[in-house]
Amino acid sequence: MKTQYLSLSAAVAIALSSNSYAQILPETQTNSDWYVKAQQKTSEKLHLKNRYKAKNVILFVGDGMGVSTLTASRILEGQLAGQTGEENVLSFENFPHTALVKTYNVDAQTPDSAGTMTAMMSGLKTDAGVIGVDEDVQRGDCASAQGNEVATALDLAEIAGFSTGVVSTARITHATPAATYAKSAERNWEDISDMPAEAVTAGCEDIASQLVNYESNLEARYPGVDVDGIEVVMGGGRRHFLPKDATANSTDAVSSIEGDRTDNRNLVAEWQATYPDGKYVMDQSGFDAIDTEKAKHIFALFNESHMQYEANRPNDIAGEPSLSEMTEKAIKVLDNNKKGFFLMVESGRIDHAHHAGNAYNALQDTIEFSNAVKAALENTNPEETLILVTADHSHVFTIAGYPKRGNPILGEVVSVGETDPALAADGLPYTTLGYANGRGFRDLGTETNADATYDTDPVAGRQDISGIDTTQPGFHQETLVPRGSETHAGEDVTLHANGPGAQYAQGVVEQSVIFHIIDQAMSLTEK
Amino acid sequence: MNKTLQIAITLALIGMTSACINDAENGSNGINGNDGSVGEKGVAGSPGENSLLNQTVLAIGDKNCPNGGLKIASGIDKNRSGVLDSDEINKNEFVCKTTRTKLNDHELINNKNNTWYVEAAKRVKDNDENISNIIKKAGSAKNIILFVGDGMGISTVTAARILEGQQKGMMGEENQLSFGKFPFAGLAKTYNVDAQTPDSAGTMTAIITGVKTDAGVIGVDEDVVRGDCSTAAGNELVTALELAEIAGKSTGIVTTARITHATPAATYAKSAERNWEDVSDMPAQAITDGCEDIASQLVNFKANLESRHAGINIDGIEVAMGGGRRHFLPKDVAANSPDASSSIEGDRTDGRNLVTEWKNTYPNGVYVYDQAGFDAINPENTERVFALFNESHMQYEADRQNDIAGEPSLTEMTEKSIALLDNNKKGFFLMVESGRIDHAHHAGSANGALTETIEFSNAIQAAVENTNPKDTLIIVTADHGHVFTIAGYPKRGNPILGKVVGVGKTEPSLAADNMPYTTLGYTNGRGFRDLGSETNADATYATDAVSGRVDLSSIDTESPGFHQETLVPRSSETHSGEDVGVYATGPGAHLVTGTNEQNMIFHVMNHAAALVEKAEATLP
Repeated sequence: MKTQYLSLSAAVAIALSSNSYAQILPETQTNSDWYVKAQQKTSEKLHLKNRYKAKNVILFVGDGMGVSTLTASRILEGQLAGQTGEENVLSFENFPHTALVKTYNVDAQTPDSAGTMTAMMSGLKTDAGVIGVDEDVQRGDCASAQGNEVATALDLAEIAGFSTGVVSTARITHATPAATYAKSAERNWEDISDMPAEAVTAGCEDIASQLVNYESNLEARYPGVDVDGIEVVMGGGRRHFLPKDATANSTDAVSSIEGDRTDNRNLVAEWQATYPDGKYVMDQSGFDAIDTEKAKHIFALFNESHMQYEANRPNDIAGEPSLSEMTEKAIKVLDNNKKGFFLMVESGRIDHAHHAGNAYNALQDTIEFSNAVKAALENTNPEETLILVTADHSHVFTIAGYPKRGNPILGEVVSVGETDPALAADGLPYTTLGYANGRGFRDLGTETNADATYDTDPVAGRQDISGIDTTQPGFHQETLVPRGSETHAGEDVTLHANGPGAQYAQGVVEQSVIFHIIDQAMSLTEK
Repeated sequence: MNKTLQIAITLALIGMTSACINDAENGSNGINGNDGSVGEKGVAGSPGENSLLNQTVLAIGDKNCPNGGLKIASGIDKNRSGVLDSDEINKNEFVCKTTRTKLNDHELINNKNNTWYVEAAKRVKDNDENISNIIKKAGSAKNIILFVGDGMGISTVTAARILEGQQKGMMGEENQLSFGKFPFAGLAKTYNVDAQTPDSAGTMTAIITGVKTDAGVIGVDEDVVRGDCSTAAGNELVTALELAEIAGKSTGIVTTARITHATPAATYAKSAERNWEDVSDMPAQAITDGCEDIASQLVNFKANLESRHAGINIDGIEVAMGGGRRHFLPKDVAANSPDASSSIEGDRTDGRNLVTEWKNTYPNGVYVYDQAGFDAINPENTERVFALFNESHMQYEADRQNDIAGEPSLTEMTEKSIALLDNNKKGFFLMVESGRIDHAHHAGSANGALTETIEFSNAIQAAVENTNPKDTLIIVTADHGHVFTIAGYPKRGNPILGKVVGVGKTEPSLAADNMPYTTLGYTNGRGFRDLGSETNADATYATDAVSGRVDLSSIDTESPGFHQETLVPRSSETHSGEDVGVYATGPGAHLVTGTNEQNMIFHVMNHAAALVEKAEATLP
């Protein structure tokens, strides 16, 4: 990388010096770092070579990671590294190709994660709240799902003989990961206890059960295919896999009865029976013990519900790996397949922190997400691996004016040339970051669990934050409209692409295009 | 279903490919009988036992052969019954058809017959065409049009797209603004050298010179101290417009703001302070130190540039259209335009009438100030145009019909500019700003901001229709965003300016305070207003800022005079700091992809039109 830079800048220098004309631009311009770097980047882009077919595809989804979240996280990451911050880029912001993605669902202007991930994974938009089925379904009506199931990129990759993996910091049965492997008229049917009796009678299968039965379900759905199942599954959500029975509790259980299942099934035991060579792990030490060169199948459920926020991870009882650790290990298992692999990695808790109105955790989880993408870059060959990084939707999260350069992104606005906070028309300071709705202001000090906000009622409007350290993990930004939880936002999100086929990320596109970019690179469907 | 056959030996039947195949082995031969004793004819040995095979056809979905095949059971017919009994089987083998690695169209019918799927697949296919149409060669762009939507962040683009769609009778979300159809898009990091959330002066200087600088300064680098005239000298930067001018191209500046406002000013002026729009805005010290106000720099553009670069010979900006008359006219009622709204229109305290000066410099030029004058311009035989349609900014698009003498839309101005500029065979550089998207946002009026953005999109469409994509690079971007949000969770097609109505509902959703809330909102600004049919967003400045929630139950939030609620009360809503979109078509357009510093836009334009090289080629 460095030598490339050198040779390019040398080429630029030669081009400039061989110019026989007098210089029109003053040295103050041509010698400016801003000028030189932008010129260099332009020239690098001109030398990009397109490749078309990928051996591996990794889809990274930052749940709720809108454009404002990217910018604020980039600044925080830079500031944590001792820079002013704004000049920093997240790992994937160096990717050469981008698109803007329209996120709406067929029935929703501002979408949810189920409809959006179905669009990305199956190539078509559908309704909010449904998983792996098309818009003809009635949300929550089991019978309406039958015959409206759609195939996903993960299904097609499995069938084609690629290794497959699903990694998330959310419950592995939550909307985003579920849309890679399940078909459901309702995203909330994470286990059988979440389903109405009618849906069970009508033959619908809960999402957790669909995960452990993935191989047989897929083979039954498409007679004649022979798949070996998802090789890597890592995330949270144990409660949906265990029977409601204290004897089934994991050794690091938090609740007195960990499992939610009312059908007495222990899906972890079932999975182990299906994959006798497979490795089930539930904590950091189990994770660390995985031999990635020998493991055939891994099933990891690190938490009863979602995994911890990255900033709160040290407080986990038995410990759990970071998203970048999971990503690295997943790749090392999956790349044992010479044919290649498809991996989906979700940072599920950027979204949760925003819902809780807590910028601190949303940004910290985004930084960890960026680290995970970096781990993927370091463990794959860019000439054979297409990496796509996107969000499913945004949040009503804003970066207000007019803080000076390098002002702490989590702090109060201090204007250019000033040292004291700027005051609003009410005579009070205000934070750079804010939410248009949600649960509003909290001052929870060093609390690293954003969900602590749910202990008290929403607070609307302004507060005197003069004496408060707004950069603390437990600070929750003020809000305008009080709501049970802060909402998604409807504006476009970004797609960043690197590797073979990345050049198909172009312009402003419907979210369903992402599937087709994957399909182009992996040749999953017959054209 | 599984039909059992019996055969005596060997297979190799059926044209099966052998993926999971072990060819079934023959049964072992029977043991020979012992030889008889010598001399006597021995009794014949008993014949060997027969080896038999049972072959079963396996259907698709079989456990051992997922795609079907044969099960071959083999063993010795120990009881010599001629039938291989189950207790005689000593080996089961499977000859499987190769498993399928792709689904057929029938199996993918829910995907492939779906319109979303078909259209998304087509988009990726179209992208192939975009890739093959990429023009990399430096200097391929004869013309460049740079469109700047001031304050047009990503949320503004999405909301305006939905509003435009809804006005056309669609649900809205599926709509695309004209530049949403451009082949390439990237993201621009907007911060100024000294500001996390930037202003238009610093950002436009970055876009037009390739160098980021401080907030509030125009065409000078970061070594300047804002407001200090003496620090500007020696720190001036050359702009893309100037390079185009020197290279012999025609040049134009079109804006709905004052033509001396930050964005347009950064194309032609150098100033330590964006607010020095005319001499009356400058401190005495700055005048003494020799700094020239921005309006004066516009009319002296040719002379100034020629004195800055020895040996060049240019003809000046061909098209300048916008508002801002007050900065060009002396503070003297006698200089008022016929459609003046103030008693004394001009602000200039130096007695100069810059409109007159411009006319003297360009005797062939046409100066216009209203719709009738504009309409009378024949772009095919007009050498240059100077148009100042308003004392300050031009009207909001929604308010345009209230203008005294009438004024053209941004689309009309864009179209006429191109028709004039493209008379030059060497091509042209045109900058078109929609300046009032920003102003409407500052006033907390989503209606105003979105209406402006739609008109901006129309102007871009006019540019697309009046140029050739093979020789014209069109870049559309914003200088910065606004703290403007699109909240959850309205159903599809819900009026974008309306209150949130959830999926499957007909009544507005209620917040935790039991009041409805609008989809669009601002996190700071002047806040709620219910000004009914008022189309001038700036009417908000007549009353103080209002913070927080209001009962909107009986208020029509879609009316032009509605201003959204806000959290932090401020005299004006602020810019925001997140990245903005960059959309491009034409030669070099693919270079805008990725997340880039805003100043890279200059370098994309420079590469596409070889501006520096062509400008330098004219030097002696």
